[in-house]
Amino acid sequence: MAKQAPFLLLLLMVVSGQGLLAADLQALPEFLRSDPFGTIVAPDRSSVDLASSLYDAQHRVMLTGCRGGYVSFQMVVKLPSPGLYTLDVTIPDPANKVQIDLFREWFHFTDSDQHYYPDALIPVRATYNSRLPEPDNRIPLQTAQAFWVDVYIAPDAHPGTRSGSATLKAGAKIITLQIQFTVLASVIPTEDVVTIDHNSYGSSWLAQQFAASYQRDPDHWFESNQFFGLIHAYHRVFYEHRGIFHQLGYGHSGKVGPEFAPALEGSGRAKHIISWSLYDRHYGSLFDGTAFSAGRRGQRPIPFVYLPINPEWPGSYEFWGEAGYEAEFVNVVSEMERHFREKGWTHTNFEVFFNHKKRYKGFPWDGDEVRFPKDLKYFLEYGRLLKKALPPDTPVHFVFRADVSWDMEQQFRILEGVVKLWCAGGDILSFYRDAPKMLRNRDDVIWYYGGPPSVTDSSSAITEFPLRAWLWGVNGYVHWLTISPGEDPWFHFNGGQTALVYSGERFGLTEPIPSIRLKIQRNCLQDLALLDSLKGRKPLDSLRAEAARSYNNSTLDDWWNPRPALADLPSDQWLGSAIEDAASHTQHALRHPAASAWYNVHQYALTLQAEDK
Amino acid sequence: MKIVYLIVLTVSLMFAMLGVPKLSPDASVDMKRELDDVARVGSVVVDGDVCQKIVTQRAKEFLFAKDPRDEFLAGDNYDVDDVAFNTVKKTLARLSHLSSFPADVNLWMPIEGHPGKIQLVIRNKNEMSQFWNWGELYGDMVPQMETALKTEQRVTVTSKPGWISVLAPVHNSLGDVVGLIEAVSRIKVDVHENVK
Repeated sequence: MAKQAPFLLLLLMVVSGQGLLAADLQALPEFLRSDPFGTIVAPDRSSVDLASSLYDAQHRVMLTGCRGGYVSFQMVVKLPSPGLYTLDVTIPDPANKVQIDLFREWFHFTDSDQHYYPDALIPVRATYNSRLPEPDNRIPLQTAQAFWVDVYIAPDAHPGTRSGSATLKAGAKIITLQIQFTVLASVIPTEDVVTIDHNSYGSSWLAQQFAASYQRDPDHWFESNQFFGLIHAYHRVFYEHRGIFHQLGYGHSGKVGPEFAPALEGSGRAKHIISWSLYDRHYGSLFDGTAFSAGRRGQRPIPFVYLPINPEWPGSYEFWGEAGYEAEFVNVVSEMERHFREKGWTHTNFEVFFNHKKRYKGFPWDGDEVRFPKDLKYFLEYGRLLKKALPPDTPVHFVFRADVSWDMEQQFRILEGVVKLWCAGGDILSFYRDAPKMLRNRDDVIWYYGGPPSVTDSSSAITEFPLRAWLWGVNGYVHWLTISPGEDPWFHFNGGQTALVYSGERFGLTEPIPSIRLKIQRNCLQDLALLDSLKGRKPLDSLRAEAARSYNNSTLDDWWNPRPALADLPSDQWLGSAIEDAASHTQHALRHPAASAWYNVHQYALTLQAEDK
Repeated sequence: MKIVYLIVLTVSLMFAMLGVPKLSPDASVDMKRELDDVARVGSVVVDGDVCQKIVTQRAKEFLFAKDPRDEFLAGDNYDVDDVAFNTVKKTLARLSHLSSFPADVNLWMPIEGHPGKIQLVIRNKNEMSQFWNWGELYGDMVPQMETALKTEQRVTVTSKPGWISVLAPVHNSLGDVVGLIEAVSRIKVDVHENVK
């Protein structure tokens, strides 16, 4: 009992955020988010017993990680009254194979519940000087500032334990926390078992979020090096967090942004490409991987990209169904294939993807989420045109993608051999337990889609999507929108269900900055890669079952819904509310994962690593 | 004189290449005139009977449907007859070629049984409209639309700065006005707008 007393006291202080008589420095696991007053935010509070999980009996911070990845935790500086402070976090490693990235956590005021949540992460030096209240965050009674600490372990770091420290200086007070950092011999696989995609639309949002940069030269900004550099920076921030980034380059009526397509000239059989200039500036370094050469994960071509192909490009829709449409489509797509081949861009999947919906009045069929089976004839026709445009032995990977929901079961059957990349609505895919295996057996790729959780959900909520993808046996998951944090994310936040990164411009940066949710997602992906790498030693279903049990005490069956009666009706007779009812089993079983949910899976993964040695 | 001509030509080309259209009021007048021509021709060649076949009965029945558990009920049930749609869309696309600058010709149709409401039925490739709020299935009819429908006259609208629309009636074989075309352009085209 005497041994537990300090922990109980610590626990009490964490929960209440009270009793602060002097400056204090506290280490917290990544899953417990502090508010600006030192209290754990409400959605994470049920897991507050994790607060002591980082400390050993000597009150040292104990951290363990595998090579080729990150270990994350948080430091919270607490001051009883306004004043200056310095925080220094260090884990010396002579070989520089263990590196620290320190981020100040921005506290967003969310209008929905009138509370503060940390999410945006502002990169700062490992020795950080500031004051409380933090001037730019403008929280009058702020008494606590949280920091996110990423410790990167290079794949070739020597296993063993390193000592470090975190030191807070505030006035005459100096507080030091000793850190023991253990590097395991295991190396996190470079390849992820699930692809996590971060989607976006167009590029006009970049001018809004980097308004100062844009305003310096609004007439030429969209052709400037700053603009393309910014796009590449978005790719980088997701790539460095084990994700990929998509930007759709056309609108629902077929308007193509100039940087997303080669410039065309002519009509009918005379239509051809006249310039690759903007396209190559946009994509060249992404397709050969050099855009990533300075990062820790190394140079690598992006694995997927949207093509600008839509019903209005490259074929003019006014010729639809006529010889001219076929000539325009086939000739231009053939030119594209040749250009990609000559450039050696053979490691990226070039997606032919139709995003339009008839409700947006551009075209008379749904390209996205087909509801009416009669629309499938358009897919078959584009499959024919694409086949005609491409040499049968092309090394360039053109892939026909379809985002499916209502009618997915029919589409899997009717479009077999035409569509090779499926992006399926999660609720409806949950009715079809055999679908992932069936699709993968025929070398199709299957992702599912949804959106990021709000910051007002528990910290582990973001991990449900990659975990579900892995448990289901699908190839990936798509966050449908990840770059749109709303009009004022800093002081009137909408919760962030369409954003996992933020503009860094407010902080003098010319690139996006990550979020806590993105960091937790990355760490989750590391753990999944580790777990999956053990499938040679343990049956995959056993690994999955134990991960699900650790996560929220669920079984693998809880992650699927029984096939409902409506699945046997034509999809145009379904109602949205009936789908919700049919998906209620998983929604109920998996609702509100606790903040500790992923902590438990992580511990399971680490235990298996230890057993493996 | 040749030198002066070459300088003027060079400067003009530079402006054109830089994509900085500084149009004079005369240019705006020219645009209005051209769009009016497009609308005038469109009013004759767009087939109102075919337009009336575009939006399906099912889509009409769900257009105003609400379900607190299903916010997308109307949109998810929006459907069109693709043959009729394509026929009219091709006509609208060709009409837009009559102008010497990027322009769209959109089709708007009043909603039977819902006076004061109108829906955009067909948009085109430049994604321009002075009246459509992005994403809406239907909206309130602006007074200029009511005027064009009632008087069967073309109406030029420049309510939004930099935008020019000419509205013109579309007739069916009975002589009824069943819709409007909107011939539309902008003084300065935003190539990134609505790429989403």
